[in-house]
Amino acid sequence: MNSQDRLHYEDLEEGTIIQLGQHTITKDEIISFAKEFDPLPFHLDEEVAKKSLLGGLASSGWQTAGITLRMLVDAFLGNVASKGGLGFENLKWKKPLMKGDTLTGTVTLSSLRLSKSHPEKAVMIFEFDMRNQKNQQVMTMSLANLVAVRHPKKTEGASA
Amino acid sequence: MTLWFEDIEPGTSWDLGSHTFTEEEIIKFGKLYDPQYFHIDPEEAKHGPFGGLVASGWHTVSMGHKIMVDYLYAHDDMMRANGEEPGVSGPSPGVNKMQFKAPVRPGDEIRFKITVQSKRKSASLPGWGVLLNIIEAFNQEDELVYRSEIASFSKLRDFKPGLRLRMGMALAAMPIIGKMIRRK
Repeated sequence: MNSQDRLHYEDLEEGTIIQLGQHTITKDEIISFAKEFDPLPFHLDEEVAKKSLLGGLASSGWQTAGITLRMLVDAFLGNVASKGGLGFENLKWKKPLMKGDTLTGTVTLSSLRLSKSHPEKAVMIFEFDMRNQKNQQVMTMSLANLVAVRHPKKTEGASA
Repeated sequence: MTLWFEDIEPGTSWDLGSHTFTEEEIIKFGKLYDPQYFHIDPEEAKHGPFGGLVASGWHTVSMGHKIMVDYLYAHDDMMRANGEEPGVSGPSPGVNKMQFKAPVRPGDEIRFKITVQSKRKSASLPGWGVLLNIIEAFNQEDELVYRSEIASFSKLRDFKPGLRLRMGMALAAMPIIGKMIRRK
C-alpha cells in the first residue's frame, strides 16, 4: 500500500467506535504461545490447569493482548499511517480467556491530538473493551499510538 | 526472586537475563499478532517510521515476561537445592503503565530488569500481598527500550486464615460444591 493512501491524522475523527472481528482460541494456540512466552504449568498442561486458580486451560494474558492487537490491526490500524506505538495504560485482565472462548470487542478512538514537539505526528488513544461469547468483560486497556499528519503546520522559526 | 512476601524488600532489583531478537522471530510474531508492515516486511519497512524492520512492542514485552518466568523457575530450583522452600507468586491483575521508548531491531540484545517498588497486603485476596514491580528493558547500547509498572500477587508465608475463611476454603475444595462456588 502506498503510504499516502493510508489514513492520516486529517482523515480520523475523535469518538470513532471500531467494531473488532472475533477469534475463537484453541488449545493448540494457547499451548504454543505459552511454550514461547509464558511457560507456566497451568498454561501448558490441561490437567494442571483444571486444578489451578483458573479452573481450566486459559490463554496467557499477553496472548489475549496480542490477539486483541491483531484484531485492531485487521479492523483499523493496518490502514492507518501509523508511526509506531507509544505504550499503554490500565491494562486489566478481568477474566481469563478459556480454551474454546470467542474473543471480540470494541475500540473507541477516545482522543486524537497533534504532538507538541513533532508537528508531523499526532497521538491516538484507543480504549479497548474486550469480551467473551457470554458478553463478560475479559480485558480493558488504553493504548497510545502515533499517526502521521498529512499537512504538518510549519513550526515557528522553521525554514520552508 | 520467588521470595516470600515478607522477605521482599522494596527497592531491590534483579537482573533477569537477556534475549537476542532475530529477524525471523520478529516477522513470525508480527504475522500472528501485529501485522503492520514495519513488523513483517523488511523491504517496505525501510521506508517506514523506523527506517527498517522492528519488533512489535508486544513481542518485546512478551519476551520480557518469558525471561522473567524462566528466572523465577531457576531461582526456585536454587532455593530448593539450598533446602529452602521458595515463595509463591500469583497471577497479575494487570499493567498500570507501559512505555515503549526505543525500537528493537534484528540482532539487538535486550536485557530485562525487575525492581520491586512497593508492597502491600491485598484487601481483596486474604493470604496474599500485592507487589508493584517496575520492569525495564535495555538494549546493548544501554538505551531504555521499555519501562512498565506491573502489579502481581505474592503469597504470605505467615498467614493464618480465620475460621470462616478456612470453612470456605474447605467447601471450595470439595468437588461439587467447590465447582458451584468457583462458578459464582
